[in-house]
Amino acid sequence: MKNSFKKSLYTVMTFVRISTKRFFRDKLALFFTIGFPLIFLFVFGGLNSGSGEVSFNVAIINQSDSQFATDFVKQAKEGKILKVNDEVTNLDEAKQKMSRSEIDATIVLPDDFGKVKGDAAYPSGEANIIYTQNNQSSAAALSSILDAQFKGINSSLVTNVTPFTVKSEQLNERSLSAFDYTFAGLLGFAIIGMGIFGPMNVFPELKKMGILRRLSTTPLKVWQYFLATMIGQAAIGLIALAIMFIVAILVFHLEVVGNWFELAIFLVLGITMILGIGLALGGWAKNERQVAPLGNIIVFPMMFLSGTFFPRYLMPEWLQNISAFLPLTPVIDGIRLIATEGRHFIDILPQIGLIGAWMIIIYFLAFKLFRWE
Amino acid sequence: MADMIVVKNLKKRYGDKQAVDGVSFSVKKGEIFGILGPNGAGKTTTLEMMETLRPIDGGSVKIDGIDVGKNPDAIKYIIGVQPQTPAFQDKTKLTEVIEMFAAAYGEKVDVMAFLRDVDLEEKANAYVENLSGGQKQRLSITTALVHGPKVFFLDEPTTGLDPQARRHLWELIQKVRDKGISVIMTTHYMDEAEILCDRIAVMDNGKIVAIDTPRNLIKALLKRGFKKSQEVQQANLEDVFIDLTGKDLREGA
Repeated sequence: MKNSFKKSLYTVMTFVRISTKRFFRDKLALFFTIGFPLIFLFVFGGLNSGSGEVSFNVAIINQSDSQFATDFVKQAKEGKILKVNDEVTNLDEAKQKMSRSEIDATIVLPDDFGKVKGDAAYPSGEANIIYTQNNQSSAAALSSILDAQFKGINSSLVTNVTPFTVKSEQLNERSLSAFDYTFAGLLGFAIIGMGIFGPMNVFPELKKMGILRRLSTTPLKVWQYFLATMIGQAAIGLIALAIMFIVAILVFHLEVVGNWFELAIFLVLGITMILGIGLALGGWAKNERQVAPLGNIIVFPMMFLSGTFFPRYLMPEWLQNISAFLPLTPVIDGIRLIATEGRHFIDILPQIGLIGAWMIIIYFLAFKLFRWE
Repeated sequence: MADMIVVKNLKKRYGDKQAVDGVSFSVKKGEIFGILGPNGAGKTTTLEMMETLRPIDGGSVKIDGIDVGKNPDAIKYIIGVQPQTPAFQDKTKLTEVIEMFAAAYGEKVDVMAFLRDVDLEEKANAYVENLSGGQKQRLSITTALVHGPKVFFLDEPTTGLDPQARRHLWELIQKVRDKGISVIMTTHYMDEAEILCDRIAVMDNGKIVAIDTPRNLIKALLKRGFKKSQEVQQANLEDVFIDLTGKDLREGA
């Protein structure tokens, strides 16, 4: 008995070893498992990278020839808050760009801006902010920013008494950034890619070529074949996800506060569960045409509702309640809770329980539905 | 000699069609047994039931005393199967293909010895997708033998091969037989059956219509007064082709 178990394990490990080697020889598989999610990481990471600072795209039309106006424009361009569009020189161009939302607002400095008027001792002027209907909130924020800047300038020119002031204070506690959500979602996306689309495409192909049929004339068991695929995928998956973590930490300043060991175990758990969906679909399908529609029906809800590309808290509550039970949701939530919130297994038992429940259902179906040809 | 395989009244039905209709025969140890017949005669279905690939509707198959229908798992250890069109996953080295098939039986084998048996030693580290049709057939044959089976099934092994590769494969199959393994093959080529097979079963419409050695089948036909309309030539076109191009296997064959 012990000997036959050893033999079974040898079978599994030989399949794991050779199929893993094959994977690293296959440039296309490498790209889709490692390169493709990385591209998404750069795209979504790039979109979110400026999220810490608010900035506005504006055009500045300076109609004044005063030194004060020139200095003001120069400072605005150097500052971080405003992204000044240099191409725009007149109001018509600015209006066009605003109508396409390429810029949020236009600051117009009239010809008397910054000039010393009459017998006053200091320069004065009024800057106009022009905006379209769609950009009311940006314009309001921009107005108060400029207002604050002018107050600073004003107080250096005229001394004023300011009985009431506002002072803001930053807490040292870290809150989740948009990227923390995005990153956990992207890991979920990568797990779906390798766990579902991988076997969903490969198995029908193997059936078409008669490779699985040939294997079925050997004593190889379905569980051995599944286990070999699982171990191989989990190992390759961990490597792919580790690369994403490295890039996220180095390029996008992701801060992982959780326990790496717990994270790795949790990732393996998630990959294994999601892989079961791929094994069930690919193992059941006779050919690619049969599996593609069903695969899409199962994958797309998870892709959009499990928090892959945008966080679930943005959804209406009823939808959040439903999407909470999708297989991928506890995986993404769990990754975020461990990696960026530093929780432990004991804190995420609901997520682990849900993954476990899905695992039982999915693998039951996968074994039931598997066909060698 | 003892019977390695005993098939009794084997039946298989697909919908309205009785694909295999009460087939009985036996195969001795160390014999090459050919199943001939037109397309749709039931050759492949018969083979697949014996290989545990199809459930048996009626009758029985016993290999080395083990009932295929009742104990398919045990049967898998004593049979080797060569599919009609051997295929392997890309980016796999020949050595790895053999390792994997041996591992499927829980065994570790001398990979190079198995490659040497089929003249593929030089290709040991090549990827399978770079093999020719004949080389793939040979690799497939050796993978079917990694576990030392008692029975070896081949389904139309030489379809699509050039005359040199065919002859080479015949020699291989004869070598397998000489090791004491029972070989069961299907074929469409009468010359192949005549040269290679020790005994032949001719199937039509799911039934065996004749079963004997090729020589006896021909004798019986002549006894019935059959005469070819043309005078029999002492050589045929294939003899000319082999004479002109030699028996050596071609590069990449």
